[in-house]
Amino acid sequence: MWSVIVLLAGPVLAGLLSLVIHRARVLHVVNFSTMLALAVAETALTRQVLAEGSVMTLGGLVYVDALSDFILVIITAIGLSCSLYMWSYMDDRVARGVIAPKRLGHFFFLFHMFLFAMVAATMANSLGVQWVALEGTTLATTFLIAFFRKRESLEAGWKYLILCSVGIALALFGVVLTYYSSVRVLGDKSLALNMIALIGVANQLDPNVLKLAFIFMLVGYGTKVGLVPMHSWLPDAYSEAPAPIAAMLAGVLETVAVYTVLRSKALVDQALPSEFTGNLLLTFGLLSFIVASLFILIQHNYKRLFAYSSIEHMGLAMIGFGVGGMIGTFGGLFHLLNHAVAKALAFFVAGNIHRRFDTLEIDGVRGLARVQPITAVAILVAGCALVGLPPFSPFVSELLVVSAVAAQDFSSDTMHVGRFVTMTISDEMRSLGIVVLFLFFAVVLFGGFMFRVGAMVWGAPPAGIAQGESWTAGHVPLMIMIVALLGLGFVLPEPIQTLLTRAVNVIVVR
Amino acid sequence: MPASTHLGSQLVDLCSVLLLLCCFAIVAQRRLSACVDLFALQSAFLAATAALVAFLTGHKHIYFAAALTIVIKVIVLPRILRKVIERLNVSRELGMNINIPAGLLICGALVIIAFFITQPIIPLGYLLTRDSLAIALAIILIGFFTMIARQKAITQMVGFLVMENGVFLGATAAAYGMPLIVELGVFFDVLVAGLIVGIYTHRLQDTFDSVDTSTLTVLKE
Repeated sequence: MWSVIVLLAGPVLAGLLSLVIHRARVLHVVNFSTMLALAVAETALTRQVLAEGSVMTLGGLVYVDALSDFILVIITAIGLSCSLYMWSYMDDRVARGVIAPKRLGHFFFLFHMFLFAMVAATMANSLGVQWVALEGTTLATTFLIAFFRKRESLEAGWKYLILCSVGIALALFGVVLTYYSSVRVLGDKSLALNMIALIGVANQLDPNVLKLAFIFMLVGYGTKVGLVPMHSWLPDAYSEAPAPIAAMLAGVLETVAVYTVLRSKALVDQALPSEFTGNLLLTFGLLSFIVASLFILIQHNYKRLFAYSSIEHMGLAMIGFGVGGMIGTFGGLFHLLNHAVAKALAFFVAGNIHRRFDTLEIDGVRGLARVQPITAVAILVAGCALVGLPPFSPFVSELLVVSAVAAQDFSSDTMHVGRFVTMTISDEMRSLGIVVLFLFFAVVLFGGFMFRVGAMVWGAPPAGIAQGESWTAGHVPLMIMIVALLGLGFVLPEPIQTLLTRAVNVIVVR
Repeated sequence: MPASTHLGSQLVDLCSVLLLLCCFAIVAQRRLSACVDLFALQSAFLAATAALVAFLTGHKHIYFAAALTIVIKVIVLPRILRKVIERLNVSRELGMNINIPAGLLICGALVIIAFFITQPIIPLGYLLTRDSLAIALAIILIGFFTMIARQKAITQMVGFLVMENGVFLGATAAAYGMPLIVELGVFFDVLVAGLIVGIYTHRLQDTFDSVDTSTLTVLKE
């Protein structure tokens, strides 16, 4: 109970406080201690969820089960490391006159509103409230993306606002359709969008309405996930946003958007055979994976490179959820965590590089190993993790997803996956086709990505760039994330594993 | 079906069709201020539809939604948008991605598509208002189309608001209104979105010397 209140009220209070505080130091202390409090509250909530299965409070408005708790773990963990990183990043930006000192308060206000909206979207019991909170994330982040107020960042912020608002308006129609189908079955208006109430009566809902509703919600929320072809805002937004915000967008917001898709999938699967949602997710996932790996080959801007890698990884997770079954869903969820850590690390690194080299062009960055040795190690780890090399944890989750695709005919009863992709004769050939396609583009991606990263790390540094790197608060999260990526590749701690297994059971319909 | 319900159903249909007509008028209109006025008119029809549904069904909370529609979508948002237009000194949309006759034809096709998509689910609705669902989807699609076809930041915002009106018509007419907390949240989001667009147009004007979104072409592959 108290942990839920801290998680919801903490960001709001911190945001309002940020508006009245003017000293940078105090702002950072408020920000960091809030994130610390959120992390503590989230730990307590996780214990409660592990003990009781699910938590419902605040008059039924808040519902947290294993799935939403897992997403909350990602939000608070990345948020905490982000607040440490911002300590050095934002001070540096202010010191160099990129942003006026008095705008620092606005930055933290928007940051905490963003955080609040994400926590609310994850905890909401009602599909409608979830929609409201997700639209709230769009409104809070558009000015964060445009925070530097350059031509490019204004353009990116505007594009993001318009595209995501449109997407999400379509998702609202999906919510209305769900409501349309449920209100007569449930009768009670206030219950008719409640997730638990809906799951309970899902088999009585009209399948045709739910089909249409799911398509609208997938397209709408998929815009926020950044699935191809609704992804065009994403590279612009990530490359123009300040580095910590890009890390939050890529690591956390995408995860929350995926969560909303998973919730609607869990509902629709109750009323329809799971091939329907599975095929749609698989198609979008495979398309995103392929298109992103091709675009990675032609990138000259390292932040855009990481952005396309996000699209690719979300596609990969979607393939996992699309194939479904225990292994695929487990792999997809685990991949969300791994991607969040690896991508936040990548964007932190990008922020460090940008501050030193003052360019976003890959060609302008050479000899990172000599200029910033710590950052160079971090970008190598992030790069290896993002292309799925062992011993880092994304390798494990990618392996799970691939083996789920390969084994789908034998392990689960969700057949006929991939009807849209390969028109082959037998089920075995179909899954084999997907695996081959997947592995081919994984190799393309590996080459393209590591080629760029390698070019930045080695070579002679350009003239006029100061060499050497001293430790700051901003380096602490880098180290923690490197350890996490390595550690999760070997052992999955018992509480996380239990949480993940239970979350899988929320999604997979038996 | 009793005569009063029959008449009520006809009236709700009539109101929904008036909303749809406003959409066509917006697509056919070049003057920005007229687009905003038409949006205000459409919202007024929406409020009337909601009030009518509330009266015919006895669901009191829909009156509340109707009142909020009048305050936010008929008064506040059009006022913000008109202020923006005045300050920016733009009155007409000159460059369009698709010309008006072609746009109107496409919108006609969109209406047919909307009826086609919703056909299998319409019989499930309440007798009184079930045809409105198809019209709501048509309005959403036309709003979407407006955002693609137009280049000025203001008309893109009007397109978004029209979409929102369509969703709201669907919720009110087809399902007798969403839970109150959801409706409040949606209104809040729409209002904040309107304010943000106001600030954006200001900054875009300062930086690009134009609110034409076709000048936003720095970022591309």
